[in-house]
Amino acid sequence: MGSVLRLSGVRHSRGGIEVLAIDALELEAGERLAVLGPNGAGKTTLLRLLAGLEAPTAGGVELDGVRVAGANLDVRRRIGYATQRPGLLSTTVIRNVELPLRWRRLAAGARRQAALAALERLNVAHLAERKALSLSGGEAQRVSLARALAVEPEVLLLDEPASGLDAEAHRAFFDDLESVLADRATTLVQVTHRADEALRLADRIAVLTHGAIRQLGEPTLVLRQPADAIAARLLGYDNVLAVDVDQERQVLVGGVRCGITTTLDPGPAALAAWAAALRITTPGDGALHAKVERVAQGPGRWQLTLTAPQTLHSHLPLDQTPPRVGESVGVDIDPAHATVIAAIPDNPFG
Amino acid sequence: MHEVLGRSAFVSLTATAIALALGVPAGTWLALARRRGRRVLATAVNTGMAVPTVVVGLVVALLLWRSGPLGELELIYTLRGMIIAQVLIAAPLIAGITMAGLQALPADLPDQLRALGANTPQLVWRLWIEARVPLLAAAMAGFGHAISEVGSATIVGGNIHGQTQVMTTSIVENVGKGDFDEALVYAAVLLGLAVTINALLTSVQQRAAAWAQS
Repeated sequence: MGSVLRLSGVRHSRGGIEVLAIDALELEAGERLAVLGPNGAGKTTLLRLLAGLEAPTAGGVELDGVRVAGANLDVRRRIGYATQRPGLLSTTVIRNVELPLRWRRLAAGARRQAALAALERLNVAHLAERKALSLSGGEAQRVSLARALAVEPEVLLLDEPASGLDAEAHRAFFDDLESVLADRATTLVQVTHRADEALRLADRIAVLTHGAIRQLGEPTLVLRQPADAIAARLLGYDNVLAVDVDQERQVLVGGVRCGITTTLDPGPAALAAWAAALRITTPGDGALHAKVERVAQGPGRWQLTLTAPQTLHSHLPLDQTPPRVGESVGVDIDPAHATVIAAIPDNPFG
Repeated sequence: MHEVLGRSAFVSLTATAIALALGVPAGTWLALARRRGRRVLATAVNTGMAVPTVVVGLVVALLLWRSGPLGELELIYTLRGMIIAQVLIAAPLIAGITMAGLQALPADLPDQLRALGANTPQLVWRLWIEARVPLLAAAMAGFGHAISEVGSATIVGGNIHGQTQVMTTSIVENVGKGDFDEALVYAAVLLGLAVTINALLTSVQQRAAAWAQS
């Protein structure tokens, strides 16, 4: 399979400020890329360039060697784009889904058949004759996705399509999306600020901050070894701590060795650790000494907030008695669930 | 009376139709364009909505006057001249309401439609459908302005019996003669015409609004 979607030397500015800078990015046919970034990172701008809605200030976006931006409607029509807001029109659901097919001059019978098939794939065919503006958020998102898929796009762009859905609707939406894309006929670029969404479907994850890709790789590798503290936070690490590496490559938290070694050179670094990596012990037993700041009941566990003196987050099973607020505890960090990475910039999310 | 009523309806409906043909595309451009000068033109359109009709009539009359720059067209004291004046009165109103109606749609809607593969005519047509309620309001406002207008009709049309006399100029003439009974009859008929056409447009508009909201 050849490269289907290619960005090269892309620079994009708004009001004289550069908002996106991507030197090179290629997607193979059928590949799924998740672009993970915080608000304002340039995710939607990237999708707009990929959809041909805007031309980059410099560089190019090509689909099979043809520039996407500009007046080339035929190329643009090979790309489906489901925006963050469903953007349904004030007509019936079926007419909403039929509309892009009508614009492509599909005959009425074939149009209806294709629209119904798309609605069925997203489990919303029963809503076909409903007025689109009367749908719930979850239904509207599914119809919006069905509308984007009805034209059988070669490339599908998804802009946080499940944002605003409750947990159950969110899970069901991604279950259906996974099933719809199972045949690998469509190349997917999905942007999100949620690590769980990025990890759900992607073959590769691109971490995007301040308009630049900081890390690109397979989800397991990116998850195991974030490029830096910003990537670690986006990937959902509960603890991203400023640490130092001493001459013996031992990691120091607040000047105290925490029992973790690294291959990084001596100097400032960051330690990314899941909440599960922090084990609460009796005072004096753990590598670190901490004070309990907050205890809250979370889903199936106690959620503990500690200071050591940096803020730490840990969990305890609900059947265990949590320490009291203000109590001193010891903390051990399990190296299997922690990773030492590049130092935290002064203002990582500036 | 029938003849005058028919002339009023013809002039106002023709002027409204032409004003819609000019005002809706102009308002659409003003709502969607991102070009320099758009704001200046939008201000001009909004100002045009407030220009007194008698001033429009005066300007049109000066242009169409036999010794004026467009005198050779021989449109002064004709129905076509009156239609031109009424178009100039109604078009800014229609353009302004169209612009406001389209700008009230979600700001990202044009891009969403482009992303679905719409070309420019398909995009604009769909936006007009989405903004059908304010567009119908624009048509009603344009027609209302045209049918009720007396200043330019008098100046440009001249209120010539059997040729350019319309309902509003007839009312003014009858009041001038002290014939209030006749003036009231004309006023009632004119009101009836306005109510009938606006009731029709309102019915369409409210059905469209109810459909979108239910």
